[in-house]
Amino acid sequence: MSILKVENLCKKIGKKDILKDVSFEVVAGDIMAFIGPNGAGKTTTIKCVLGLQKITRGKVFINGYDISKNFVKAIEKVGSIVESPDVYMYMSGYDNLLLQARMYKNIKEEDIYKIIKLVGLENRIYDKVNKYSLGMRQRLGIAIALINNPKLLILDEPTNGLDPEGIKELRELLVELAKSGMGILISSHNLSELESFCNKVCILSHGELLEENTIAKIKEIDENKYIIKVSNLKKILKFLNSCDRVIDDNYVEVIRDEKDIAKFIKELVNNNIDIFEVKKEELSLEEAFIRRAGGKKID
Amino acid sequence: MINLIKLELKKIFKKRSFLILTIIFIMYAILTNVIYKTISFNEMTEEIDIAELKEINKSLDLNNSEDKETYIINLTNIEVYELKNKEKDNTAKFLIDNYLWDLIYAKNENLYGLKEENKEHDINLEITNVLNKINDNDWEYFTKQELQELKNKFDGADLKNKEKLEELIKLEEYRLDNKLGYDNDNYLCEAINTLKRDIVEYYNLVNKNSLTKNEEERLLDLKETREINKYILDNKVDINNSNSLRAVLKNFPNEFGLFILIYIVMISGTIVSEEFNKGTIKFLLTKPYKRSKILTAKLLTVLLLIPLIIIIMSLLEVIVGGLILGFDTLNVPILLYNNGLDTLIVRNIFVHLVFILLGNLPIYVVLGIICFMLSTITVSSSAAITITFLFYLVSNVISNLVLMYKIKFLNLFISLHWDFTYLMTYENNPFDFSVLLSLIVIGLYISVILGVTYIYFNKKDVKNV
Repeated sequence: MSILKVENLCKKIGKKDILKDVSFEVVAGDIMAFIGPNGAGKTTTIKCVLGLQKITRGKVFINGYDISKNFVKAIEKVGSIVESPDVYMYMSGYDNLLLQARMYKNIKEEDIYKIIKLVGLENRIYDKVNKYSLGMRQRLGIAIALINNPKLLILDEPTNGLDPEGIKELRELLVELAKSGMGILISSHNLSELESFCNKVCILSHGELLEENTIAKIKEIDENKYIIKVSNLKKILKFLNSCDRVIDDNYVEVIRDEKDIAKFIKELVNNNIDIFEVKKEELSLEEAFIRRAGGKKID
Repeated sequence: MINLIKLELKKIFKKRSFLILTIIFIMYAILTNVIYKTISFNEMTEEIDIAELKEINKSLDLNNSEDKETYIINLTNIEVYELKNKEKDNTAKFLIDNYLWDLIYAKNENLYGLKEENKEHDINLEITNVLNKINDNDWEYFTKQELQELKNKFDGADLKNKEKLEELIKLEEYRLDNKLGYDNDNYLCEAINTLKRDIVEYYNLVNKNSLTKNEEERLLDLKETREINKYILDNKVDINNSNSLRAVLKNFPNEFGLFILIYIVMISGTIVSEEFNKGTIKFLLTKPYKRSKILTAKLLTVLLLIPLIIIIMSLLEVIVGGLILGFDTLNVPILLYNNGLDTLIVRNIFVHLVFILLGNLPIYVVLGIICFMLSTITVSSSAAITITFLFYLVSNVISNLVLMYKIKFLNLFISLHWDFTYLMTYENNPFDFSVLLSLIVIGLYISVILGVTYIYFNKKDVKNV
């Protein structure tokens, strides 16, 4: 079931195109990693999806409702943190949560306590938020995002300020939520943090969508990274591709699939280059994307 | 909607700045009431420069008849002043001024003129007699004397004058009955004096057949003063006592208007912009409400808080002022004269306070809405607050300019229309506008301001940080 559908989303600010024909889809149970460097347009996309910024062209559907035409219905089952969990610092965590809960219908006090427990804030919930660390505010933000039992959860850089333990807990929580049928869109400039538990990836660069695919598909790319120790660096240079690089006096890094690496080594041997060591390393998702995007760097 | 307003109120009341401002207000109220308690509002008594008079007299030529006349007057003034200086009692001072001046003048005139010994003897006897009565504090002697004279006149007077004389007789009898003497600091004496001062002019105008416009206005003024002073005598209420809680409350908008404005501007100038500045707008605008509904909730919160703040401030002032100045003056009413109906309006001080605050309410509402608009458009609390205050100051200047120079093209400027205090105190509109026109102008301003605000807010992008 499609929970979020973005179709040809365009956003202009002044004369500048911030987003160019961005399209993707999140279905129930998805955890989509929304990746891109700073300034790629991730936050703008999220704000357009949430109605915080007006859409120049294109359409956004949440649970089938058009965000521009039927905002109230569309946003009703959405939880979100955008940029950072900005709450009323002069109030307690509980007051903040209560304030947000009161803006929805039929949220009971016991539901609120359940969520406080879920994000692990039960010991500090009555403290003023200005005494919280960023990590605790992040937890409070997640609690606020979950307060209305949403079908779509949008988290913008939620790992900021969280310690490794917190990230692990968040990961487990999100997997659990996705299992229950929630669609999750989670943005980050760092894919490696997300690749372990996301099932879809969307890569954005300079306002354009580079790739939308499942993690499994990406993992099918059988290219690997090889670190090779050689005797004569000068001789080897002409055999390198644009993605390959020299590490230092004796080491080079090349990216090849299995067939090609054999060919490559044979070539080196034929040219009297001594090879002392060949080490295989797995390519990270990010590097795989760089390859797929034709070597274009995403940042 | 009520739910949203409740939440907005919660956000505001939880703020520390709200509490701090309230504490500052209480301190300010204490200061104001202490000033009212200690300051003396009495009129300056006219001081005669004795040394200067003596100097002038030295330079005068007694052979010149004009100079001689001046010399005698100066001398009389000096002697009367010295006599009065010896007395502490206001009644004595009054009697010296009113009964001895003529005698001393006559004495001096004789001394520097005909020098008749018989006359001199008679006058001196009379002066001693009056002085003795004054020193014995026998003011009733003078009152009775005056009363007798009035009664004699009354017997021989025509119908027109009888009314006037009867009134004068009643006043003096009132003085005797209540043992008031001639103490000007006593509010009842002051009322008698005021009535006596105006009585001739009043009856002249009343008995005149056709009046000019100026005379008509003057007659209305006189009627008003008479009615108020008669009420004071009949009910023995001291309405001019400035060292009282009642006086502070009567001046409430003047004393605390700026504070009311600070409160309003602080709330309406931050209610939208702070959400943007602190980033909380992102949670707010992703809730299942239309943007216009959220803005309306904020606007209604401001509009609800304006009267609420004024009520809270008034109550605080009554408590603080009561503790400092005493609560006893609260039963003294406010007296107003309705020219149109030709009647005296007696109003409880609290009712009066409500009326004048209602008269001022449009000022606060309009400024609150202007600040609200600026807060929404600029997303800067400081800009919204500063510009609103500047606007208020400039408005006052413009009002005064129009009042002085009758500048026609500024006739539709808001500040000429937003003050309805005149209605509440039965006065005329200072700019001669009708109430309807003022209401229309205010309505137009508010519609335009709110229109701009809503359009802007509905289209606004929440910018990336």
